[in-house]
Amino acid sequence: MKLALASSSASVEEVRKQPAIQVSNLSIVFDTNRGQNIAVDRVSFDVAPGEFVCIVGPSGCGKSTVLNTIAGLEVPFEGDILVEGAPVYSPRPDVGMVFQQPHLFPWKSVRRNIAHGPRMLGKSRTEANAIADNLIAMVGLTRFADAYPNTLSGGMQQRVAIARALANQPRVLLMDEPFGALDAQTRAVMQDNLLALRDRIKATIVFVTHDIDEAIVLADRVLIMSAGPGRILREVAVKLPRPRSSSVMLEPAYLALKKDCLDVIRAEGLRAFNQSDAN
Amino acid sequence: MQEATSTRRAIAIRTGGRARRPDSVRLRRLNILVGALSLPLFVCLWELVSRSGAVNMVLFPPPTVVAAAVLEWIRSGQFFGDLLASLFRVTTGFIIGGALGILFGILTGQFPVISSLLSPLFHILRPIPPIAFVPIVILWFGLSEAGKLFLVVWGVFFTVWLSTHIGVQKVDRGLVRAALMLGTPRRQMLQEIVLLGALPYIVVGLRTAVSISFYTLVAAELAGAFAGIVYRIEIAQQNLQTGQVMGGLAALGLISFIADRLFAALAERLVWWR
Ligand SMILES: Nc1ncnc2c1ncn2[C@@H]1O[C@H](COP(=O)(O)OP(=O)(O)O)[C@@H](O)[C@H]1O
Ligand SMILES: [Mg+2]
Repeated sequence: MKLALASSSASVEEVRKQPAIQVSNLSIVFDTNRGQNIAVDRVSFDVAPGEFVCIVGPSGCGKSTVLNTIAGLEVPFEGDILVEGAPVYSPRPDVGMVFQQPHLFPWKSVRRNIAHGPRMLGKSRTEANAIADNLIAMVGLTRFADAYPNTLSGGMQQRVAIARALANQPRVLLMDEPFGALDAQTRAVMQDNLLALRDRIKATIVFVTHDIDEAIVLADRVLIMSAGPGRILREVAVKLPRPRSSSVMLEPAYLALKKDCLDVIRAEGLRAFNQSDAN
Repeated sequence: MQEATSTRRAIAIRTGGRARRPDSVRLRRLNILVGALSLPLFVCLWELVSRSGAVNMVLFPPPTVVAAAVLEWIRSGQFFGDLLASLFRVTTGFIIGGALGILFGILTGQFPVISSLLSPLFHILRPIPPIAFVPIVILWFGLSEAGKLFLVVWGVFFTVWLSTHIGVQKVDRGLVRAALMLGTPRRQMLQEIVLLGALPYIVVGLRTAVSISFYTLVAAELAGAFAGIVYRIEIAQQNLQTGQVMGGLAALGLISFIADRLFAALAERLVWWR
């Protein structure tokens, strides 16, 4: 609490310049029965307030681990993480998270699921329900406000999960392959929904995916990660115009960006292959 | 919306508004009829066999004799006393054993230290059939009501404890993480996530415990009692009143059936989101 007060008393100018997220020299090591496994190796990056950053990389490269650490669900082995200038020790309500699985509370209706966060932060039931109803309308689920999660499709469940994460008005929204379990058609619709939603909320977003196309369509900046141990290979700025939709994938500028990304990934794949050959 | 209604109407017209396979309807009616006849047929057969002289009628009385015995049992006023005594033992034992089972299941499921302390003990005691405790219960409690409650509580406790323990352990970690991210304080995790997550398991455990409480009731009343359905069966056996014995069995079957149905209906309400 003291830290939050300290940062709010800083001058407005300082806050504006300050990155929303600062990750410096983050390493994470897991103890396994085959010895220590370096999941993430000295990763550093900043995210500006309001920026939309995508982290792409092959599965197992440590994307979730990085995100969980920013969320405060995992403890750094080495390095520092500052969110809004304050170090992260445990989950904070100003940092929201959407997981690959919706993880909705099965015993709560859609409205109660979304109202859960505000309730936990001490809002009255009426207030929390009003917040929930607003968000339900925003994700287009008004007809399903009283439905239970097990009656909803995967895409609808994930929309509820996004609305639930937004209910505490987080400054930072973390998304861990939120559309990874959806079919291609639903995923495209969800990407468009997220782009539209993003223009209405002011949150800083870090979005993890293994899908290059998804990353370029959504992001202002793409961080490409390599596997074993996880490192950041390259940053690619995405200067495609906003408002955007998934149809941006047909434009030449998009294809040029995708080629850049694929070149980086191919070079890394080749290097890893040669290295494993040499061993 | 309008399109949907007109599609529905089109389907209704296509099927002509009646079932397309009258055969299957006929078959279903036949099944219902046979089902309704099952019990009466069985009772008639029983009556015939008993009266045919092929068996000893004293040891194998016909249903009419059993019915007469039951009527006499009710008319004498003993039936309600017996029923109340048995129901009291079953419900009190079930509630105490169930409450303790849930409490300890949460404790061992949630706190590894408590689990390390208690689980080995519980796992050794659990497989011993409650009936095997009758001799020691008589030594400890004599013929008092406490001994009977002890047996029922003992039987119910371990089933409910184990299912609660497993339920708490199986609570989706993802839900806990989601709740943490939404600002749920750790001390509220129990009531917000763990209890509800474990509830389906707890309910299954309680349902199993309903029939267990009746098994242990039998042991408890055979161990010596002054009233109760099973006590009455035993007395009737000693007086060679086979009709009364069978009537007692039927009554026991009926109340444990009703208890199971009632609990099944309750269980559906308890896990409301299913
Ligand atoms: N709790 C854990 N214990 C041990 N190893 C883990 C754990 N979580 C992740 N890892 C390891 O860390 C690496 C990165 O995992 P993860 O962050 O889930 O990758 P990604 O999300 O990119 O698919 C993997 O090699 C995985 O095996
Ligand atoms: Mg992952």
